[in-house]
Amino acid sequence: MILNKFLRLMSIISGTFSIVLCILIIINFVQLKRTDPLNTPALTYLQEQLSKDPGNTALQQEIRQVDLLARKAFFTSQWQIRSGAYLLAVSIFLLVVCLKSLELTTPKIPSIIGTGQTDSLRRRRTERKWVVIAGMLLVVISLTLAWFTHRMLTSTPAEVTSLVNQGSAKNTVNGKSAATSSAISSPADSAGSTRDATSSQPDASDAPPAQNEIRTNFTGFRGPGGNGVAFQKNIPVSWDGVSGKNVKWKTEIPLPGYNSPIIWKDKIFLSGARENQRAAYCFDANSGKLLWTADLSKIPGSPAQTPKVTAETGLAAPTMTTDGHRVFVIFANGDLAALDFEGKTVWTKNLGVPKNHYGHSSSLIMFRDLLIIQYDQNGSAKVMALAGKTGDKAWETARNVKISWASPIIVNTGNRNELILAAEPDVISYDPATGKELWKLDCISGEVGPSVTYANGMVFSINEYSKLAAIKLGPAVTLAWENNEYLSDVPSPVAFNDFVIVVTSYGTVVCYDAVSGKQQWLKELEKSVYSSPMIADGKIFIMDKQGMMHILQADKTLAIAGESSLGEGSVCTPAFGDGRIYIRGNKHLFCIGK
Amino acid sequence: MKLKRLVILVLFMSGLFLPAAMSIQRFPKPEFESGYVEPVTQFPLPRGEFLIWMDVAVLLLTISLASWLVIKKRSRLGVFWLSLFSLAYFGFYRQGCVCSIGAIQNVTLALFSGNFTIPLAVLFFFLIPLIFTLLFGRTFCAAVCPFGAIQDLVAFKPMQIGAWLNAFLGMIPYLYLGLAVLFAATTTDFIICRYDPFVGIFRLNGSFGMFIFAGVLLLAGVFIARPYCRFLCPYGVLLNWMSRFSWKHMTITPAECVQCRLCENICPYDAIDFPQTKKDPASHRKQINRVILLGLLVPVLVLAGVWTGSQIHRTLAGVNSKVRLVRLLQTEPMLKDKDELPEITAFRSSGVPQEQLVSEVDGIEKDFLKGSRIFGGFIGLVFGLTLSGLFRTPYRTDYVTNRATCLSCSRCVDYCPVIKK
Repeated sequence: MILNKFLRLMSIISGTFSIVLCILIIINFVQLKRTDPLNTPALTYLQEQLSKDPGNTALQQEIRQVDLLARKAFFTSQWQIRSGAYLLAVSIFLLVVCLKSLELTTPKIPSIIGTGQTDSLRRRRTERKWVVIAGMLLVVISLTLAWFTHRMLTSTPAEVTSLVNQGSAKNTVNGKSAATSSAISSPADSAGSTRDATSSQPDASDAPPAQNEIRTNFTGFRGPGGNGVAFQKNIPVSWDGVSGKNVKWKTEIPLPGYNSPIIWKDKIFLSGARENQRAAYCFDANSGKLLWTADLSKIPGSPAQTPKVTAETGLAAPTMTTDGHRVFVIFANGDLAALDFEGKTVWTKNLGVPKNHYGHSSSLIMFRDLLIIQYDQNGSAKVMALAGKTGDKAWETARNVKISWASPIIVNTGNRNELILAAEPDVISYDPATGKELWKLDCISGEVGPSVTYANGMVFSINEYSKLAAIKLGPAVTLAWENNEYLSDVPSPVAFNDFVIVVTSYGTVVCYDAVSGKQQWLKELEKSVYSSPMIADGKIFIMDKQGMMHILQADKTLAIAGESSLGEGSVCTPAFGDGRIYIRGNKHLFCIGK
Repeated sequence: MKLKRLVILVLFMSGLFLPAAMSIQRFPKPEFESGYVEPVTQFPLPRGEFLIWMDVAVLLLTISLASWLVIKKRSRLGVFWLSLFSLAYFGFYRQGCVCSIGAIQNVTLALFSGNFTIPLAVLFFFLIPLIFTLLFGRTFCAAVCPFGAIQDLVAFKPMQIGAWLNAFLGMIPYLYLGLAVLFAATTTDFIICRYDPFVGIFRLNGSFGMFIFAGVLLLAGVFIARPYCRFLCPYGVLLNWMSRFSWKHMTITPAECVQCRLCENICPYDAIDFPQTKKDPASHRKQINRVILLGLLVPVLVLAGVWTGSQIHRTLAGVNSKVRLVRLLQTEPMLKDKDELPEITAFRSSGVPQEQLVSEVDGIEKDFLKGSRIFGGFIGLVFGLTLSGLFRTPYRTDYVTNRATCLSCSRCVDYCPVIKK
């Protein structure tokens, strides 16, 4: 009797506990499903405030606190659900044991109701009726579903085949047109430029450079197409900036800047800026003589106020570019200029001061006669193309991304040219001729500094606190593999043949198999690196911040080809000429060569 | 001297760390102080051959023991404890897999797909309960099936539901069986496994929706005993058929029924047939007409089922992932606009030509047309035979278990005062 009372009491307690627990778990689960700890309204608001006032350390601290609290709350809820589930299991077990014990210890007294003569015939009639109802209901439901399906599906699989074939045909047509336009450019034509009869050039003398000209010159940041691969030969691997060994010349650069040199025939171009001074320079490639300086401090429309930038970005971070007739330069205040090879201004314009808390750093790139500008600023990111000759806008595409510091690349992916940009949250490809989006993949986050790289149908993007993403192009663009072990926040990766090289800003160089993502080798430089690695003449050139060039064989096995010091620090990416390397040091422009 | 060496050592060490110290990151990596250690990826090993055969041996032993307890010992308590063991072993230890219910799909796939070879152990799991049911009734349901055991455990206040509801809901398992066979035969899906309500409990892991489904079933099971077994279980259909012809089935009374009526409201599954001594009031002629009508009704229902099946085959084919993919493409010919759909992305990355997919889907739809007709015909036949059965007027004087629906739980046995001498 006492046992029964105890069991009954325990049953009530455990039963009530189970119900309460169950309700709490469900409430907690629903709340958890609705919560996104990384995008709470409070956090978003504070982040917006910070983007307006990037130097506010108190606000940064507050954001960290709010972020930590949101994460804690999220994980605490998860823990509560997990623990609650275990508690629920225990309490239900207890409830079942108590109730079962009660059942076993309290025999059920059978109830005998009525005469015991149930009307089986009547029961069967009821059953028959409901079986018929069930059957009819089933038929009605089936036919209704079938009707909806037939209505929704307008065509049979055979008809779909024709639709798909139409789609394929359409693609083929597109493919043909792309092929036609890229026939201009061979499959390896990274910049997609040409002297093609089909391109609308006003006159032959103003035609964009041919593919071989792009390859023999060095027309922009990270070489042809901005892809990190140079085609020059006989590149020196040994020099010493202090003793002058293999240093052909070195010339002081009047104004500072982190942009890299570009080359057109026997001319080297770069830019520099201070708060109220902006200039583009042209050096003689053979003697190092400063041929001309274009003072661009006061172009029409230039803002009176110079934007605040960090010392690590500066006011002249973007690298110039050229179309073989003009050079183009952009500064952190949005001033953009086209100069002829004599240093005379062809046209200028101000694109509006970019809302960028470190400073604008995306380099310029040419596609045929179009100057392409990645302008990923806070709140109104965009990419645009201007006619190189006139500066008139050819196209502009708004980008739903955050600020980025990466530069565009233009590559030929087999049957079309693609302009590929990276910024949180997407790597996005555009048609460089029209600005039309071709594909995008959500695979990058954070303050994106490194540019993407391309080789053999695969695009590689990377950013610190995000991941190295290998994107496979094709009918479908997919994430082939990813890795988050060694990530870069400044140097861009470079892909070549069947491998991809990642250089981190803390000096780790890692080689991955491009297809599988398997790490091939790793080398610690033990020095900081901001310069992007370049592949030239079968070697990888990596300049560390102290001016030491680390030269490795461009191979899937690690082999060191040399190490040479510049004698001064450098954060810029080298440019290559046949038998020469042009390096911008912190103060000087160096020409390395015999 | 020692001090000098120490200073040199310190300077040397500092020199070693200097480059690293100078290699600052643009943003320092966050310091995680939770002590979290990245777990090493684990891959479950396949179950050892010996253990697989141990499962078959345990099944054989438990079902033999259950049959002995039900038929020979007539022990409800024994059945109860054995069901607890089965719940622990086949449920929580074996985590509900392999199970006889799901094995229907493996057998079907092996019959219809040339690429799939059914493991022998799975075949045994499918056949052993059927054979034992043919011999001793549904003793598998009584004490071996973990699904039945967990529901039986919570059947505290079972109520007898109305005949209409029993008849109505009782048709669902046939539908479920038909669909499971159709989807397995067309290599579309294993729906029995996908919608297995209790496996989440056994594995202490599952989707929230499935936990809710299991919770609802168990909660309903407090008042309506074993709702899954009675109104959903597709394997129960096969056991139902086998049990009708069982060699020795459990009986309420060990000897002659004394009509004490103590058992009549005991069965929580409405599986006790009451005495029926009234004769069918319909005239002999009317009964003959009814037999003729039923003889015609069954093929008519089968044909109606076949027709309905052919009408609904495209709806059913929509469950197939390849068919669904083609339909996604079909509804919008501008294929590139569908790039963000994961199905299309996955398909495109596979490198399979679209024409090949469409032709494959054409074949699948034809299979579905054939399968849906058979499925419809089967459902029509089930309805026809069920209705025919309900027109029969059995004559009996005693309380007896309904061989088809009795789960051999032995509850009624405890209430029978008759002792066999």
